[in-house]
Amino acid sequence: MLKPARVQNTTEAEERAVFRGTALPWVFLLPSLLILAVFVYLPALQTLRLAAYRANVILGTERFVGLANFTELLLSPAYRQVALQTFVFTLLTVTLGLLSALGLAWLASRPIRGANTYRLLLIYPYALSPAIAGTLWLFLFNPEIGLVNKILGALFDVRPRWLDTPSLAFGLVTLAAIWKGLAYNIVFYLASIQNLPGDVMEAAEIDGASGAQVFWRVAFPLLTPITFFLVFTNVISALFDSFALTDILTKGGPYTGNAGATTFLVYQLYQDGFVNFKTGAAAAQAALMLALVAFITWMQFRVGERRVHYGS
Amino acid sequence: MAREVRGSVPALPTVGAGRGKSRHGRVWVTHLALIVAILIISAPLLFALIKSTQISSDVLSPKLIPGGAFFDNLSGVWVDAKLGRYMFNSTVLAVSVTVGKTVLSLLAALAFVYFRFPLKGLAFTLVLLSLMLPTEVLIIALFDLVSQDLKWADTYAAIIVPFLASATGTFLFRQHFMNIPTSLADAARIDGCGPLLYLTRILIPMSWNTIGALAVIQFVYAWDQYIWPLVILQNDDKQVVQVGLRRLIEVGGQTDWGAVMAGAIVTMIPPLIVFTALQKQFSRGFALTEDK
Amino acid sequence: MRNVKTILLTLALTGTATAQTTVEFWHSFGDAKRTGWIQARADEFNKANPGIKVVPSYKGSYNDSLQATILAARQNKAPALVQIFEVGSQLALDSGAFQPISSIKAVDFSDYIKPVINYYTIGGKVNSLPFNSSSPVLYFNQDLMKKAGLNPKTPPTTYGGLLKACQKIEAAKLGATCFGMSLNGWFVEQWMAQQGAPLLNNGNGRQGRATATNLDSAAAKNIFGFFKTLQANKAFTYTGKLEDWDGSDAIFTNQKTVFHITSTADIGNIRDAAKTSGFTVGVGVLPIADGTKRNGVVIGGASLWVSKSVSKAQAEGALDFALYMTNTKNMADWHKLTGYYPVRQSSIELLRKQGWFTQSPLQLVAFNQLTKTVPSPATAGGLNGAAIQTRKIIEDGLQKLLAGQSVEAALQETKARADAALNEYNANFK
Repeated sequence: MLKPARVQNTTEAEERAVFRGTALPWVFLLPSLLILAVFVYLPALQTLRLAAYRANVILGTERFVGLANFTELLLSPAYRQVALQTFVFTLLTVTLGLLSALGLAWLASRPIRGANTYRLLLIYPYALSPAIAGTLWLFLFNPEIGLVNKILGALFDVRPRWLDTPSLAFGLVTLAAIWKGLAYNIVFYLASIQNLPGDVMEAAEIDGASGAQVFWRVAFPLLTPITFFLVFTNVISALFDSFALTDILTKGGPYTGNAGATTFLVYQLYQDGFVNFKTGAAAAQAALMLALVAFITWMQFRVGERRVHYGS
Repeated sequence: MAREVRGSVPALPTVGAGRGKSRHGRVWVTHLALIVAILIISAPLLFALIKSTQISSDVLSPKLIPGGAFFDNLSGVWVDAKLGRYMFNSTVLAVSVTVGKTVLSLLAALAFVYFRFPLKGLAFTLVLLSLMLPTEVLIIALFDLVSQDLKWADTYAAIIVPFLASATGTFLFRQHFMNIPTSLADAARIDGCGPLLYLTRILIPMSWNTIGALAVIQFVYAWDQYIWPLVILQNDDKQVVQVGLRRLIEVGGQTDWGAVMAGAIVTMIPPLIVFTALQKQFSRGFALTEDK
Repeated sequence: MRNVKTILLTLALTGTATAQTTVEFWHSFGDAKRTGWIQARADEFNKANPGIKVVPSYKGSYNDSLQATILAARQNKAPALVQIFEVGSQLALDSGAFQPISSIKAVDFSDYIKPVINYYTIGGKVNSLPFNSSSPVLYFNQDLMKKAGLNPKTPPTTYGGLLKACQKIEAAKLGATCFGMSLNGWFVEQWMAQQGAPLLNNGNGRQGRATATNLDSAAAKNIFGFFKTLQANKAFTYTGKLEDWDGSDAIFTNQKTVFHITSTADIGNIRDAAKTSGFTVGVGVLPIADGTKRNGVVIGGASLWVSKSVSKAQAEGALDFALYMTNTKNMADWHKLTGYYPVRQSSIELLRKQGWFTQSPLQLVAFNQLTKTVPSPATAGGLNGAAIQTRKIIEDGLQKLLAGQSVEAALQETKARADAALNEYNANFK
C-alpha cells in the first residue's frame, strides 16, 4: 500500500546528513544565530545578571544580594500558588486546545462543499488583537450587564459572577486562552492534514475502516510530528503569551489564598518587573521560568522526538 | 466551547459498505458541527462588529441591535487616531518580519536536516530556547542595546531586525523537511545539485502549505507587536497599529468604546486579507503526492 | 569661493536651526478630545514663542509612559516634560530623573487650589505642576430613588445614610442593586483622608519614608466594615475585576445600581449616558464614615514633571509651556471640556462669572468638596514609592472581604502585605 520511498524510516535526525561541508551549514545558520545572539541572548544575559541584585529600574539602584531573590521566591506561598495555577492552566489549555483544533481542522478538511469558507471562518477571529479580544470577553461576561448573563438569566435564571468567583474566573481565562489559540493550531493542523498521503487514507477507507478508525489508526499517527510541534509551541505560549489576556480580562484576580486566582507566572513577572518595578525579583523569576522551560523542552525532546513518526 | 468540539469528533465519517444514505447523513452532521463551532468561535467577532455600529454608551450594554454610528465611530478613529498611518507602518513591519523569518528559518532548517556538523545539537537548542525569552522580559537591556549601541531608535530597523530569526519557523521547517524522503535529496546530490538549488527547486515547492501556515502566524505575531514599538519609537511617524488601538482604549478614563470597536474592526482588515490570500496555500495538498 | 559661501550659508542656517529649542511632552491621553486640546495649546504656544517648539505625544498608559521616560532618561533622551500619575509621585521623585519645578525659576503658586498644590509639594518644594485633577463623588439615579420612596434632593452623605437607603431599595424590588463602584484603592485613600486619618506613618510619608500603613486604625476599620455590611446585605455589586472604571460606570448607566461612586471627571460622560439610558442623574458629596468630621478629599490625577537631564533652555521652555497650558483661561476651558478640576482659584472665579455653575449645577458639589478641604497631612495625600503596589494590595483586601473574609482578618492580611511592600521598596535605599 505504501510507496517504498516513504517506508524508509529515519527517526534520528542525525542520520539524515546528505550534503557535505562543515562550513556551509554554519553559513546557513549564521543569520539566525547572529540575530538571536545579539537580540536575545546578549540582553538575556544582562537581564539574568540582575537576578542576583536587588534592583529597581526606575530608581537605577542595584545591590548584590546573591541568591536571596531566588530563596525569597521559592519560599513565598504566593509564588508557589502562582506556579501551581500556571501548571493547571497550561495543562488545560494545551490539551483541550489541541483536541478541539484537531477535531475542527479534521472536519474542515473533509471533502465537503464550502470547505474553503469553513476554513477561513475558523481562523478569522485570530486577526483580533489580544487587547481587543480581552476587552470583548470582559464586556460579554460583565455579571450585571454582560450579554452572557443576560442570556443565562433569561433562560435559567442564573447570573454567575464570572470575574470574582475564583473557579469561574480561572475557567473563563482558560477558555479565553483556548479560544485565542485555536486558530493558530487549526492553521497548522489544516496544513498538515493536507500533507497526509491521500492514497493511504483512501486505501484505509476502501479496506472498510470506519471514520473513527481512519482518524485514530491512520491519520493521527501521521500527524504526530505536527502535534509534537504544537504541544511544544502551545506550552510556550500558555506560559508566556497569556498575560495580555489576563491583564485585560481579570487583572490576575480574584485574590484568593495568597495570590490572584488567574495570576500566572508570566503575569506575576510582568507585574513585578513593569508595574511594581522590582527589576531584580523579576529577573529571578525570568531565570526560574527559563530553567523550568528548558527542562520541559529537554524532557519533551528526549521522550517525544523518539516517538514522533517521521516519514510515515 | 471545548465540549461542543469534542462532542463532534465521534460524529466523524462512518464509512460503511453502503455509500448512499449514510454518506449523506454524515456530510450533514459535518456541516452542522462546523457551523455550530464557527458560530461559537466567532461570537466575540460578531459581537465586536455589532458594537462598532453603536454609539459609545451602548457598547457595554447587552444590546445587540446594530446602530447607525459605524461611520461616525470610524471617521473619529481614522482621522484623529491616525490609524491609516499606523496601519501602513504595521504592514511594513509585518511583511518584512514574515518574509525575513521565512527565509532565515528555511536556511536554518536546511542546515539542521541535511548536514552533519559538530555542535548541531547545541545550535538547535539555542534556537529553540530563544522562544522562552520574550521581548517583554528583555526589554530594558534590549532598549539600551538598540538605542545606545546601535543607534537605531526611531528607525524601522529597530522594530524589524530583532525579530527576524524564528525558532518556531526553524522547528517547523525542520520537521517538515524530515518528512520528505531522503531519497529525493540523494538523487539531487548525485545529479550535482547543491543545497541551495535543492532548497529553491525541490524543498520550497514542496513546502508551500507549511510556508503559508507559518506566514499567517508570523504576520499576526508582527501585527500584534505593542510594547517594544511603543518604547523604542519616539517619533510618532513610525508608530504601529497596536499602539494606535491602545491609544483609543487607554485614554486615561472615559474610553470611547464605539470608536475602539470601529478601530478594532478596521485594523483586522490587513490580517484578514493575508489569511484569505494564504488560505489556498496552506490547505493545498502536499506537492509530492501530486507529482508522483 | 563658492564653496566658502556655501559653508557660511550652511553655518548660518544651522545656527538658526539650533536656536530653536525642542520640548518633547509625553502624556497619557489617547482620545481625540484631549489630545487635540493639548496639541492646540502647543500650537498657540509655539506661535507665540518662535524660539521654542513643543511637541506633545501620547506614550501609552501612565505606567507605560513612566517606563518609557525612565528608559529614555538612561540614554539622555528624556522628554523635557512628562505627565505622571499621582501614585507615581514618590517613585518619580526617588528616580532622580526630574527636577523640582520651583527650582527652575520663581513661580507664584498662590493661585493654585491648596489641596492640589499640597499634594505635589514635598519637603517644601513644588516638584511638579498639577494638570488633571479630580476627586470622587456620589452619583445617584434620581428616578430609581423616587421609585424606592427616597428623596433625590437629600442623597445620603454617610455610610449609615447609604445603608439605610439600601434597605428601602431592597424592599422596593427595583431589579437593581443598591450600590456599585469600581474597587479601587484610591477610594480607600480618600476615605482615610475624609476622616482626617493619614494612610501611612511618618506624616503620611511626607516627613520621612513611610515604613508602615495605618490599616489597623479605627478609620480603616470603618471603611472595611462598611463594605462588609454592604456584602452581608447583598447591597453591593461590581464587575468582579479590580479597577474596572468603565465596567462599573456602565452598570450604573444601565440602571443596574441606584448609587455609584466615581471620579468627578466623569460627570459629563455619565450625565450624557444617563440621558441616553432615560434617567436623571444626581451628584452628591462622597459619603463618609458616621460620626466623623468631613475633612475633605485628596487630589487624584496627574501632574507635569520636568526632566533633569535636559538643557536649561528646554527646562524653562517646558515649564513655560506647562504654565501656559494651565493658565486661568486654559484651565477653565480644560474643565469644561474634560470635567477635571481647574486647579486655579482664578479659573473657578472665571467659571463663576461665565455662569458655568448655573449651567451645570452638578459640578458645584464637586467644587465645594474640593475647596472646603481642610489642609493636613491626611488630606495632602500619602506618599510612598510602592504606591502602585500598595494600592493594589488594598484592592485585593477589599475583594477578599467581599468574598466572605472578616473585617479583622482582611485588614490584618492587607496591612501585613502592604507593610512588606513598603519595606521592600525602602530596602532599595539601604
